Amino acid sequence: MHFAYPPRKSSNPPPFRPRTSALPTIRSRRLKTIVLAGLAFVTLLWLFQTGRRNRHAPPAYHKPSGNPPVVIVTVFNEGKYGKGYLDTVKENRLKYAEKHGISPSPPPNSGYGTFFVKSSDYDLRGAPTSWASLPAVRHAMTKFPDASYIWYLDQNAFIMNPLLKIEEHVMKPSRLEELMIKDHPVVPPDSIIKTFSHLKGHDVDFVLTQDKDGLSSSSFVVKNGEWAKFFIETWFDPIYRSYNFQKAEQHALEHIVQWHPTILAKLALVPQRILNSYSKEKGGQEYKEGDLAVRLYACGEAGEDTCETESQRFAQWKAAFQNS
Amino acid sequence: MSLSRSPSPVPGGGWASPGLTNNLSPSGRSSPTKAYAGSNGTPVMWERQKSMGGPAYQSFSTQNQGFFSRHMRRISSQLPRFKADNTHGAEREKIGQGRWSGLNMLRLGRIRGITGRMSRRTKMLLAFFLLFLLGYIIFYSTPLVYYYRRTSWLGGGQKFVIILAANVGGGVMEWKGAREWAIERDSIRNKKKYVAKWGYDLEIVDMSTKKRYAHEWRESWEKVDFVRSTLRKYPKAEWVWWLDLNTFIMEPSKSLQDHIFDRIEDVTYRDITEYNPLNISHPPADPYLDELSKSPIGDGNPNSIHLMLSQDCSGFNLGSFFMRRGTWTDHLLDVWWDPVAYEQKHMEWEHKEQDALEQLYIAQPWIRKSTAFLPQRMINSFPTGACSEKGTDPRIHYDQKDRDFLVNMAGCEWGRDCWGEMYNFRELSYYLNRSLWERFKEDLLCGIWFKLTGKKVKF
Repeated sequence: MHFAYPPRKSSNPPPFRPRTSALPTIRSRRLKTIVLAGLAFVTLLWLFQTGRRNRHAPPAYHKPSGNPPVVIVTVFNEGKYGKGYLDTVKENRLKYAEKHGISPSPPPNSGYGTFFVKSSDYDLRGAPTSWASLPAVRHAMTKFPDASYIWYLDQNAFIMNPLLKIEEHVMKPSRLEELMIKDHPVVPPDSIIKTFSHLKGHDVDFVLTQDKDGLSSSSFVVKNGEWAKFFIETWFDPIYRSYNFQKAEQHALEHIVQWHPTILAKLALVPQRILNSYSKEKGGQEYKEGDLAVRLYACGEAGEDTCETESQRFAQWKAAFQNS
Repeated sequence: MSLSRSPSPVPGGGWASPGLTNNLSPSGRSSPTKAYAGSNGTPVMWERQKSMGGPAYQSFSTQNQGFFSRHMRRISSQLPRFKADNTHGAEREKIGQGRWSGLNMLRLGRIRGITGRMSRRTKMLLAFFLLFLLGYIIFYSTPLVYYYRRTSWLGGGQKFVIILAANVGGGVMEWKGAREWAIERDSIRNKKKYVAKWGYDLEIVDMSTKKRYAHEWRESWEKVDFVRSTLRKYPKAEWVWWLDLNTFIMEPSKSLQDHIFDRIEDVTYRDITEYNPLNISHPPADPYLDELSKSPIGDGNPNSIHLMLSQDCSGFNLGSFFMRRGTWTDHLLDVWWDPVAYEQKHMEWEHKEQDALEQLYIAQPWIRKSTAFLPQRMINSFPTGACSEKGTDPRIHYDQKDRDFLVNMAGCEWGRDCWGEMYNFRELSYYLNRSLWERFKEDLLCGIWFKLTGKKVKF
């Protein structure tokens, strides 16, 4: 008898039977396509993303390379002072710049640059001539785009110590952190606006001193850059020039420092004798041997107390420059 | 009136100049310093309430608290029902113990049968189609769209915040009527929808006249304070877009990225001489400036743009403008309001912060380096009532054919009908942005029906 029975299953089934599942197994060829597609997708995403990222980049501004490290700016009020006197002042600056390199130094010479202008060079629209210091500083930034620091020094001031370098004596961040006068009223004695107490040295872009009256704009250092341009252009705003501040740009400075925190946040006050000793004790701290610079305080163009005669008291700078 | 020296800020805060102090407060300084220095950005209260969801008062009801107690009935009615009381012989059914099994099994089996008969190819196609549908639903009609458009790497929506000035002049100056409320409601709804669609953030700010500002004569400069506080509140935001209340986004289907930011270099112009109603001499020519400052187009790189605004027939218009986070913006926001400038100019400055910005733009070259202009009709079209002295100007006025992006009913509060304009533009926007289905219904079916019966119908 023959019955069409299927063959019997083995009574000992193999321990690992092939999987019988509904899911199709992924073959190697298909795996390859899947991986490729995935890669393409990731690449597309990446391309997509990099294309966008550029749009959100911060603006690229020119970074000063530090050549020359410092530019000394002085505005000469020609016509009111004797030529001999002004030449001495000029010589003083040039000698100092020379000590730190070759001067007058257009790039690529390393050393300090100097930038001298006449106050009549700029159109101030009727404002007092002392305002000319601001376009002069701005002009120096244009002329020396790679300078790290711009040091504005008043015409009636002399550099006394040729050994001190601006970038080390004043502007080095660690040095600044030592020097900075923190939490001090910007305009003494009663302004509630005080210098920042947690400012870091490398955040400082503007260094100046205070005398007995308030902020002194006769000697200050600005770090070249976008902030400096903003600051100088704001300070030079025609609206401040036409406001008849009693002390012209000096009071305008006190005003913007007190009312605009983005400026105060970059400012450091240093002890007066670091940058800006005075010839007389009447106005502020008096010059002592070894100070960087002395300003002839409240001297006039004519009369007995002229700046020229006053400058004789400090004629020793020549000797000091020769010896060093 | 000017002083020999500008007064320092004083402990009371505020600018005390003899010409401006009032008699009521002899010191002239009554606002606290904290308020001056602190954050000025408080969103409008009622809006905040809404956004937090639901009423703020406590609910004491103890019923309907949890998910289950609320949905018990619905869930239990969907559960399979077994005959628990089938002890009575008359009601006994022979086939199937539960009522659900027979019918559902049948349906399931039928579906299985259909799929079984399909070819493998059709099955794949069907699966693909279903997947596509699912993807479409997930990505386009669920709240997910909002979240993925926000991400920085898919949509980038969180980089944009819209600031909407609400409650203008409210509080002290005016009593809001029904129309004002309606305008506000429509304007806010319009922006909320737009923001929800594209994953942006919306900050509604309260422009009601406050004592702080009234005292310091600082009305209108709240814009400055609000931009600053918004940038602080949304740390991921890169651009803020200021919008006045009387604006309406006509084309909500355009994202800001598509409309402006992905092609910023093509749509903006930086040389103001292209359109210069104020006759500002450009570029600045002072001899002491560097080449970059003297360049008419700045550095020409869109990355340096931090302020984008448009000009109307009389100069800058700050009804709709963009500002980008950055140092430059911090500086501008800081110097924008200055007591000395204000004291000298407040009689001339009719538009306050707008004139102040023009003044800064003219006087200070650093401003120009990061300012760019957009053609007015890209972000700020006017209705025919505004700037209408010289008739309709294709540079200024809204044109339906070009589907302008935004309408700003500037100056409608001075003798024009704000609500009427808002209503018309709202309806126009809905009309222009009908969906395909709506178009099919209204244009085709209604049209045919009209031809056949001569009657106008609405579906």
